[in-house]
Amino acid sequence: MSFAILFWDELRGFVKSKIMLALWIGMPLLAILMHFIQPDTEGLPISVLTGMLISAMGGALAAVLLSTSIVNESNAKVYDLYLIRPVKRHNILLAKYFAVILNLCIATILSLAIGLLIDRFTIGLPTEQIFMATLDSLVMSIAAMSIASAIGILIGILVKSVGLAAILSLYLGQQLSLIVMLPGVYFENINLMLFSAAVGIPLTIIIILVEIFIFSKKQF
Amino acid sequence: MTNEKQKQIIEFTNVSKKYKEVEALIDVSFVINKGDIFGYIGHNGAGKTTTLKILVGLIRDYTGDVLIAGESLKSHPDFSNLIGYLPQDVGFQEWRTVNHALITFGLLSGMKKSDLTQRILEILEMVGLTDVRHRKIKYLSGGMQQKLKLAQALLHDPQVLILDEPMSGLDPTSRFQMKNIIRKLAASEKTILFSSHILGDVADIATTIGIIKEGVIQRIGSPLELQNELTEGDAIELVGHNLSASITKIQALPNVERVELTSNRHDRLVVTYSTDTDIQNATILLMAFLSENKIAIQNFNYLKPSLEQVYLKYMAGGTTQ
Repeated sequence: MSFAILFWDELRGFVKSKIMLALWIGMPLLAILMHFIQPDTEGLPISVLTGMLISAMGGALAAVLLSTSIVNESNAKVYDLYLIRPVKRHNILLAKYFAVILNLCIATILSLAIGLLIDRFTIGLPTEQIFMATLDSLVMSIAAMSIASAIGILIGILVKSVGLAAILSLYLGQQLSLIVMLPGVYFENINLMLFSAAVGIPLTIIIILVEIFIFSKKQF
Repeated sequence: MTNEKQKQIIEFTNVSKKYKEVEALIDVSFVINKGDIFGYIGHNGAGKTTTLKILVGLIRDYTGDVLIAGESLKSHPDFSNLIGYLPQDVGFQEWRTVNHALITFGLLSGMKKSDLTQRILEILEMVGLTDVRHRKIKYLSGGMQQKLKLAQALLHDPQVLILDEPMSGLDPTSRFQMKNIIRKLAASEKTILFSSHILGDVADIATTIGIIKEGVIQRIGSPLELQNELTEGDAIELVGHNLSASITKIQALPNVERVELTSNRHDRLVVTYSTDTDIQNATILLMAFLSENKIAIQNFNYLKPSLEQVYLKYMAGGTTQ
């Protein structure tokens, strides 16, 4: 019960603090900018290029967003008012995590859809190959953002300075989340979608379990 | 369960808490009865907030036992329906309005959304925040934010209120209003435990006072008990003309320990009695003496030591109970 209340509360927070607006408009805008900044993509569809960019940038955004928000709220003792009520500690983290992931997923889908639209008008109707490559990008982006978000939460719990949390999130959140893209760099015939999911899901779960444990022991 | 036990709503027994090398609480024991206004006083860092945080479940690694309504906090860790908490330092997310914050905290406390609207209106009316219901919290003054903290604590109508420095940062008018709210809550049979480092606030509203210093409870008692214990004996103040002429005779009355005179426009005599004196009998004898000797007085007062003197005695290193 408390998860649903906290989840909707987080989403409302994103709307009210304009973060949702920045993500939903900003990331699709990037897809359009990609087309104008780099019109010669050497045959690579804009949708795929956008997907790769978002995998890298979305992960960093998620990690920074989550870590700094948790550090800020911990320092301001915002959680005291939750924890004196029948609220499970892990629900606070999970609500934040899923609210950020949901926002980023919608922004990513919007961006890729715009990329596909641009491809439609520049190189014609999306072929099955382009469509599959875009789907690969989508799954890879979500996997990367899942890992980055989980790392962002971990940093938010462990660190007390907002600045340090932001820097660590950029270093660790972004870089570690790109683990899902590595096989694509080294191997040509690997199923990227499958690999991203196979690495992203268990790694995210492990990191989240660790942070739930740490958060449950944390002194407020 | 005995009647005495049934009256007790909070019971701390030998509770200790250490932060690394610092002992925040050492063998703290006290009992709070239903309907009490327990004023918990001590310097900053004395252990007040640690005590309150243990009570509301924010600190869990302590030794000793805490009973709430007869049940141990360790075996039954969720008393959130019974307790409302006003924390000392707490923040609200910047984007929240007063109304939205109260809806969220109400829902998290297990209240139904249909009941919340009416309840929020009642609580805002009680704390005087009705006009700012839809204002963002970041635009509220410090005093209004303090009242909002109280509002969220009252929302689910808890029986016990734990208030950590409720008057902190308030201007004199808000301080007066806050004290009145606390008195009204106590009159509606709520039990209130509040901490403060301002003696005047505690003296004004507490029915029981606990003094803590460096993690150790120094003394617990009613304001009257604490005042009585400090005095060497009761004293009576007389103000009138030519009282100085009667000093020797008054000194000779039973149980009078000493008589002090200060003269300005009128004479002021302070008659101090020995500690075991029945002050009512002593007053009758003194009045009879004044009447027999046709000594007119303009003012007559019982003198008690102030709570400030009691507090300073313990803070300066008084006896530990």
